[in-house]
Parts: sequence; structure tokens; C-alpha cells
Amino acid sequence: MSVRSRVAAFLAALVFPITASATEPAPAPKAIKDPAGELAAVIDRHLAKDWEARGIVPAEVTDDAEFVRRVYLDVIGRAPKAAEARAFIDDAAPDKRARLVDFLLKMPGHANYFASVTRAQWLPQTTTNFQLQQFGYQFELWLQKQYRENVPADQVVRKVLTVKVRVNDRNQGFRFVQGDGPDPDNFNIAGFYSANEGRPENVGSAVSRLFLGMKLECAQCHDHPFAPYTKEQFWQFAAFFAELNPLTGPRPGFVGPLRPQSDRNAIVIPGTDTKATATFFDGRNPDWSPDRTPREELAAWLASPKNPYFAKNTANRVWAHFFGTGILDPVDEPGENNPASHPELLDALGKAFADNGFDNRTLIRAITRTRAYQLTSKMTHPGQADPRRFARMSLKGLTPGQLFDSLVAATGFREPANLRNQRNFGFVQPGNPRSQFLVRFASNERATETNTTILQALMLMNGQFIGDQTDLARSEILAAVADMPGWDTKQRVTNLFLTAFSRNPTPEELEKFASYVDRGGAKGDRKQALADVFWVLLNSPEFLFNH
Amino acid sequence: MSNVNLDRRHLLRVGAVSTAVSMSGWMGRLATAAEEAKVKPKRSCILLWMNGGPSTIDLWDLKVGHENGGPFKEIEAAPDLKIGEHLPKLARHGKSIAVLRGMSTKEGDHARGTYLMRTGQLPGFAGIQYPSIGSLVSKELGDPKSELPNFVSIAPQRFFAQEAFGPGFLGPVHAPLIVGDNQFDGGRGGDIDALLKVADLDRPKAIDDATAAARLDMLREVQEEFASGRPGAVAKSHSAAYDRAIRLMQSDSGKVFDLTAEKKEVRDKYGRNLFGQGCLLARRLVEKGVPFVEVTLGNWDTHNNNFDQVKNLCGTLDAAWGALMDDLKDRGLLETTTIVWMGEFGRTPKINNGKGRDHFPNAWSTVIAGGGVKGGRAAGKTSKDGTTVEERVTPTVDLLATVCSALGIDFEKQNMSNVKRPIRIVEKGAKPVTEVLA
Repeated sequence: MSVRSRVAAFLAALVFPITASATEPAPAPKAIKDPAGELAAVIDRHLAKDWEARGIVPAEVTDDAEFVRRVYLDVIGRAPKAAEARAFIDDAAPDKRARLVDFLLKMPGHANYFASVTRAQWLPQTTTNFQLQQFGYQFELWLQKQYRENVPADQVVRKVLTVKVRVNDRNQGFRFVQGDGPDPDNFNIAGFYSANEGRPENVGSAVSRLFLGMKLECAQCHDHPFAPYTKEQFWQFAAFFAELNPLTGPRPGFVGPLRPQSDRNAIVIPGTDTKATATFFDGRNPDWSPDRTPREELAAWLASPKNPYFAKNTANRVWAHFFGTGILDPVDEPGENNPASHPELLDALGKAFADNGFDNRTLIRAITRTRAYQLTSKMTHPGQADPRRFARMSLKGLTPGQLFDSLVAATGFREPANLRNQRNFGFVQPGNPRSQFLVRFASNERATETNTTILQALMLMNGQFIGDQTDLARSEILAAVADMPGWDTKQRVTNLFLTAFSRNPTPEELEKFASYVDRGGAKGDRKQALADVFWVLLNSPEFLFNH
Repeated sequence: MSNVNLDRRHLLRVGAVSTAVSMSGWMGRLATAAEEAKVKPKRSCILLWMNGGPSTIDLWDLKVGHENGGPFKEIEAAPDLKIGEHLPKLARHGKSIAVLRGMSTKEGDHARGTYLMRTGQLPGFAGIQYPSIGSLVSKELGDPKSELPNFVSIAPQRFFAQEAFGPGFLGPVHAPLIVGDNQFDGGRGGDIDALLKVADLDRPKAIDDATAAARLDMLREVQEEFASGRPGAVAKSHSAAYDRAIRLMQSDSGKVFDLTAEKKEVRDKYGRNLFGQGCLLARRLVEKGVPFVEVTLGNWDTHNNNFDQVKNLCGTLDAAWGALMDDLKDRGLLETTTIVWMGEFGRTPKINNGKGRDHFPNAWSTVIAGGGVKGGRAAGKTSKDGTTVEERVTPTVDLLATVCSALGIDFEKQNMSNVKRPIRIVEKGAKPVTEVLA
């Protein structure tokens, strides 16, 4: 097939009815009694059908201990403390798993964790580029508020796309984009544009990638080598953000034939004489009017329940967060080389997300209730090896923040608020262990392909933080476990397991470690031997990964 | 089995502890791995990274007699190569050195220029995370089993462009092991010997050999137990990283970072500053077969008082680089070690009112020396006033292709990127500067 006909074929699939205008409100969510339960059942049906068709025996269902650790990490970004894990494990209520998720969704940690994950995904450059970091913080603050108030995903994106901004390009070489208008949120939302350096092509490619799941970057300079996008389409999409460029043509309303947008919807393709006008992927142009800006037109088209790409892409990203692998994966590379693992499931997921009013929490409740999410990570059948079948839970690396917060929970380290809130700009600050972990464990890898580095291993084995927390004189939890009056060795070992792994030791583990401690370990000192056990647990993969 | 192991440890505790350490299961495994890892990579690269944008018109491509030239004179480094007068020690190795005078690059901003020169790509899009040249060489020339990391970055100043120092889509396995991070005062504030050591390489003092061995044995067991039911890269990488970290702690290789092992005269010759001692460390690492080492010298952003500053910086640069060339040559390593000198851009030929020079990517120089290089010459030519390139316009990708060629790397080879699309080591269309390749 020629490139041109491939483009046409692909674009045909992209056409969907557009009737929503910028002012039309999203349809009210349909009244379903238990939308999360209903969606979980739909997901279970799709996956069960696939397993059966392929002869895959899924892994065992998790025990409570594995579940509680997983869901804490995935929803609030840290492992549970020993007391939290024990309370859940001991709870006899049959619906305790669903209730735990409800409880976690209302914790402030959930909003903060999801805001940080979203910011890292939407504005990865603000993690690594010092000059852009401040804009990431601004934007993350606003995202925290959105997650705290559970603002529907379409509204969040619409606000990003339509925020009123002023471009300050007095500083040569960098376009500083500032929020405009009375809404104080605009100041923080504008961080999205500044982090993309105020360039229409950067913003356009980010918006396409993040909100439609279509990576257009390569088409900036040449027709996309593996997917059906042309250079012209790239610039046509970027042109929706042309108002970030200095205005070149006559102002709107200038004497002469009225051009509703003047040049605010057009952009010259660099190195050519061609001017690209803002155009949707289906080749249509908005019905330009002087009342609505190109960004408003784009927002109405993009963040609409009628746009299946937006709903599917957004739901798939949430799915990928919980499973480590998207149904379409990579999440932003559609095309013949990257088919979805379960296309019908993806359609159903997107549709349900839109039907439920783009409610993030309903989607999270549904995903965490599925059988697939509640499968153990331990493999029992070779068919479970392929992560794209979701027949067992994949191992996922922890983000640096997840790791340090889990260390705080496990060791009882009393982290002063000023250290916790210190902005680290990617650099180690003396005396701030969090900054050391954030820097040493920074990674841009997929969670399911996390590599451990030598320096990370050295830090975990020999670094000051773990050293202190496994030192009887300086630790918090270890010292308490070692000194607790009336406990025997097995109780002490059990509590170290609960605090590090959120589970009780198996009888074999208990026997092995307790006898090591009773012997006094390597130096004939029982307390020191307990410290050795704690050191081993904190360095083990069971602590360092989400399983 | 595990109980047997612990019991054995218990017995050994009573007896000779030091032999127990080397006998334990983990250590035995490592010893075997170390045997297998003895095949050294054939070639190495040392990148001397000049942070801030060096004034190459005062170092490599002087405009003596022109108003843009400034006060510096030229000296002869080779019959066909003249360089700045403040690099006399280096000039003695002129036959091994080639200057690329046709550099013409696209970015005059520190962050963007750094990213461009170190990855060959323009920054701006969040989607593809390009690896730095060090990570690319680590992947091509590195030995995955070696005791030492395959990319060591000494005293980097990553303030503006951290991602330009990272492994990008090649992943943390090819991330640099960094020592002496972000010392903007050139290490004057601290103990240089301590700064240049690997972080956390030493065990806490309270943990003796026997305790450490007991911990590692128990850790190995829980690792194996956990990984046995969970095949895949994540758990495997955890155990591999611990293996390598422990190897580094216990083998002689880790001692390479201990500069006190060098004679006082040698250390003096390199210069008792972070860059000088960093170059000495680079030599020690290359002797051990590390394929890519970079050493950063900062403070080249000479908007004011350019000539005094450049003269000072040249003193540091010349002593260290000259000593490095001496030592590599004496050890027969100059033929297999390619030395690259560059910064993020050059500086304006026109001298500003503060006797400074500003950012200038349009026409400037980089240097390549040693292994794979035909030295004693310059390739490319700038105009009389230094503002434009008249011969052999050399974009960044051509420089990187030249470096790869000198190292024997196929720069058109493709790596799989984070967006699951193959990407060449150096972008298509790059042409190495063949005039300087041996």
C-alpha cells in the first residue's frame, strides 16, 4: 500500500461524528447502580474469553497481604505500614478489598501520588531539565487539586487546552507562557505551555501524544516512517496552538475581508513557504468563528465523549498504570505495527469511561476489582509469561518517590516536613535522604522493565540511610522491634516481615531467620542479628518492587 | 539447604573469618564471573567536556592580527598545525592531535547546545529519550560482565541538561557511574580524593566481614526464592546489579578510584585540581579497560574578561591533558584510546565591551586525538574574521560519526528506542571527517 493510501485508510477510521460545540456541556453520566462493578465484570469476561481461547491458566488469586501492598503502592504511592497491613489482613469483611480502595482514594496521598505520576508522564522534561522544572511543580500543584476534587478527565484536559494565557517572549530564545484572566488556577495550568517552551509544535505534539495517544513528533521533519502521519498533518495540528507565535498577519476585524482567526490558526512550515492551517486529523476544519479560539475548537473536538480516541487513550493509560502494560502498548503508538492486545476490551473500556462521565475513581475502582488485577505475581503456568495476556501480575519497579515513601513507612524514619517538601531540582541536597533517593533512582524506563544499577545497589547496601535504619542506635522501627519487652524472637522476626513486606513470614522463613537470630548471627549478638535480618529484607526484591 | 548454609556460617564464625568470606557461595560465583570477564574491550574513549562553551578561537583557530583575534599568539604543534600559545605541553603531542575547525552547530543555549553535542539530536520533544555519546559507546564497546562500569563520568556539571548525560532509551545499564558530581567550584571546597571515589562503595564501618558475608548469603537466598517464581528482566536485573556492585566492592577493580596509589610526582604533573586528578583517574580507568570516560572542566562561559580566564583555564587543561597524553603514550595506550575535546559551542569572534566573548555555534572548533586519528593537522577552515566556516562545514552529527569511526563503531547501527522504533547511533546522513581518520 502506498503511503498516501495508507494515510487515507487510517484517517477514514478517525472520522467520527462531531456535533459538540465549545459550549455544549458533556452529557450527564448515565445512572448505573454500581458502574465500577459492572465494568469490572465486563473486563473479567473479555480476559477470561481470551485465556480460554489461548489455553492459558491464569495465576492464583492474591492473598490479602500481596493485595494490600500492591493496592497501596498503586493508589497512594507507598507500601502500607505494618499496622495498616495487619489491620487489613485481619479484617474478616468479605468486601474489604473494594472498601480498601474506596478508603485509599480519599486519602490525600492518592491525589498527590496521581498528580506526580501524571506530571511525570505529561511533562517528562520537567523532571530532567532544570530550566523547566518550576513549570512542572506549578502544573503538578494544579493536578493535585484536580485529583483531590476528582474532576473528570475530560474537564481536566479541556481546562489545559483552553486556559487563557499571555506569551511573554521578551526573553530571547525562551517563550514564557503566563496565565491570564481572573482564575488563579490559570497561573499553574500555564506551566504546561511553558514546559513545552511555548512552541506550537511542542505543545501540539504533546497534546496529540498525551490526549489522543498519537505520537506525531517524527512527522515534524519528515513523513512518519512507520505510521501514517505526514509532515503536513503534524503542522496542521500544531497550528491549533499558533497563537503562541507572534501574530504576523492583520489583526482580526481589520479593515478588509474578515478572516476570523487572522493568523491565529495558521503556521508556516519551517524551511518552506507553505502555511498550514489548523485541521483535525480527519481533514476537517472547524467552523471558524471570531468568538472561539482555535484552542477552544480543538478542546471541543478532542475532549468529547464522541471522540473514542480520547476516552480509549486516557483509560488505557490508567490501565497501564495498574498493570504495567497497556492494552495498547506503547500507549501512544497506534498503527499496524502495534495492535491492541484486546481490541474489544479497549473499546469497551473507553466507552465505559466516557459513559461514566470520565470519572477516574470509578475506573480505578473497576480495575482494582478485576480478577486480573487480583492475580498473584507468582507464575504457575508458562502461558502466564506474556505480560500482554494479563494472566499474572507483572513485577513493576518503584518510582523513586514510591521507594522512598515505602522506606519511610517500613523504617519509621521521621522525615521532617521541610525535607519532604524541599524541591530538589534533580540534585542531592546535603542531609536530605529523599533527594538522594530521587536522584539515584531516577529512571525513564517502563515499570515492567526496570533495571537496577550498580550505584543503586551500593546505596541500598552501604548508604547512610539504610545504614542508619538498620543500626540499633539510630533506627526507629528496628530498635522498637529489638527492644519490645515480652516478645520472643519469632515475634520480632514476624514484625520485621510485616513492616518490610506487609506479610507474615512463611513457617520456613520464620524458622530460618529466627534460628539465625537466636544464634546471635555472625557476631554472637541477637540484636545485631535482627538488624542483619532487617537489612536483608530491605535489600530484597520483594521490598524493592511492586509485585 | 539454607539451614545448612547458615549453620556453616555459624561454625565459620568461630573459626577463621577472613577465609570464610572468600569461600561463601556468592563469592565463589563472583570469582567465576570475574574469570569470564577478562576479555577487555579493544578501544576506549576519553571525552574532555568543556562546560560553558570554550573560546575555541583562542585555543585552536587563532586569528592573529585580526581585530577579532585578541592578544594570544600561535605555537607550532606539528608542521601543519598551529594552536594557542597557552597549551605548550599539549603541543608536544601535536602529531597525535587533529583539530576540526569547521564546526557549525545549531544551538547557542547552554542546555540545548549541551544536549545537541552530546546526543547529536535537538532537544524539544518529550517522546524520544536520546542517549548520550558515552552511553552509546558503553553499549557498543562495553563488556556487560566487566567489574567496572562501562561509562564513568568524572566531575560532570549537569545543572542545565541532566538528560544530556544520561543513557536515554538505552536504560540505566548504560548510565554513567558518576563521581565528583556537580562541583561547581572545581572541587576547591572539598577533599578531591574523596570526591573522586564511588559513592557508597565502602561498607559502613560497623559492619565487619563476617556480618557482611552472612547478610549477603541470606540476601542471595531470598533473592533466588523470589525470582524463581517471577521470571523476567526486573528481578534478574536486581540480582545482576548486586553481583556487580559486590564485585566492585571486593575486587581490585574498585581500587582504581583510589588515587593515593599514584606517586606524588605523577599526581602533581596532572595538576592538583578536580580536572587534573579526574584526568589521572580517567587514565587509570582506561588502563582497566573502561571504554568511555569523560572528565568535565567548567567555567568556560567567558562573557567577561575572556582572555585572563581562558589563560587560567588553559593552565589547568594543558597540564592535565599533556600528562594524560604522556602517560597513555608511555603505556602504549594512545593507539587504542581516542581523546575528544569539546564543549557545547564556541564563542563569538567579535570581542565584546567587557573583553569577553559570547555564545557562538556558527563557526568553532573541536579536537580529536589518539587512537584512530590522523593527527598533526586541522580539517575545515574558517573565514579570516572567524565568523563563518569556509571549508568542511561540520555539523554535530559529523563530529559524532568521526568519533565513532575512530573507535571502530558502526555509527549507522540501529538501537531500539523507548518508542519501539529503531534509531541510529548517529542520525542518517552523517559524514565522518575522513581527513582526520587514520
